[in-house]
Amino acid sequence: MIKTPLCDLLNIEFPILQGGMAWVSDAQLAAAVSNAGGLGIISSMNADENWLRQEIHKVKSLTDKPFGINVMLMNPHVDKIAQVLIEEKVPVITTGAGNPGKFIKLWIAAGIKVIPVVPSTGLARFAERAGATAVIAEGGESGGHVGDMATLPLVPQVCDAVSIPVIAAGGIGDGRGIAAALMLGAVGVQLGTRFLVADETNIHENYKDKIIKAKDIDTVLTGKSLGHPVRALKTSFTRSFLKAENDPSTPKETLEEYGRGALRIAAQEGDSQNGCFMAGQISGLIKEKQSAKNIILTLVKETETALKGGLQWVK
Amino acid sequence: MVFEKVVEILRNYKEEPELEVTMESSFEELELDSLDTVELVMEIEESFDTSIEMDSELKTIGDVVGLIEKAIA
Repeated sequence: MIKTPLCDLLNIEFPILQGGMAWVSDAQLAAAVSNAGGLGIISSMNADENWLRQEIHKVKSLTDKPFGINVMLMNPHVDKIAQVLIEEKVPVITTGAGNPGKFIKLWIAAGIKVIPVVPSTGLARFAERAGATAVIAEGGESGGHVGDMATLPLVPQVCDAVSIPVIAAGGIGDGRGIAAALMLGAVGVQLGTRFLVADETNIHENYKDKIIKAKDIDTVLTGKSLGHPVRALKTSFTRSFLKAENDPSTPKETLEEYGRGALRIAAQEGDSQNGCFMAGQISGLIKEKQSAKNIILTLVKETETALKGGLQWVK
Repeated sequence: MVFEKVVEILRNYKEEPELEVTMESSFEELELDSLDTVELVMEIEESFDTSIEMDSELKTIGDVVGLIEKAIA
């Protein structure tokens, strides 16, 4: 059994969050994770408020456990989404891709727990000051849009910078990673890539197969020159993207256009010519497809083993 | 008054004592990304012992100076 203060704070059994991944994390996956004792999170990506309301109703019909919604702050519908989340009284909100300052007080006042994803101590302190419940310190080992800092140096510095609970994310794929995160001072973890291969995840089978096949060196960062780097599996898409990115004659607009919609193509069509298969550096650790429940139970067992094993070095 | 102090904090932050700054200087021109901006605004707030709402997007030094002046008025 692994229990931390985060379990009581979020009313969950295990301190494991499933990351909100655009085109991946829907009501079905979130409900499966929450039913297994973790915190399932739906990604509201660039969707509008009507789509999100349907997903919220769906997740509520599939689980009576707490769940979360990830809000991508650059979403053009963000103001309406912020309101729907209050009307639907969702238990937890995580935020990414921007400054959540404007919404934190509003959501907290509505009784919602707000957990921004932060890539630096500065933003962590800012989130705490704005009233956030906790923060997710996410290192650049993760998949999708990433920050510069790696998880190992980021998490303890964020833990020192704030007094609210810290959840570690980025580069965590098994119980050893979770044990390490707890040793760094985190009281919980968020995993994305590991849940990509869950049976309940509604993505093209090619996407899952690519994760299972991936080795340690099979992810790459694209879009650094655009100021918002994305980590994805190496495919013919990332190779031609990087070729265009490294060619100084390519206009930035062309590159932005190139990447648009590429994640949806990967998730729904499994097309490696035109799809961008976002995934973290731990892809190489993932060897089998499992149900969300088995993933969580495996993680918990591995964490116990790792934490107990650590004592052997204390002489 | 506020502007001069903000410039001083900014020069210290960038470790460039001769840095040219005007009210119109944007964070982008000053080569400060969004994370730098958050750090810097918090330092400025601490030195004025106040806090400003970072709701609206801060683009220029003038934006920060305006908000600080409003906050301490």
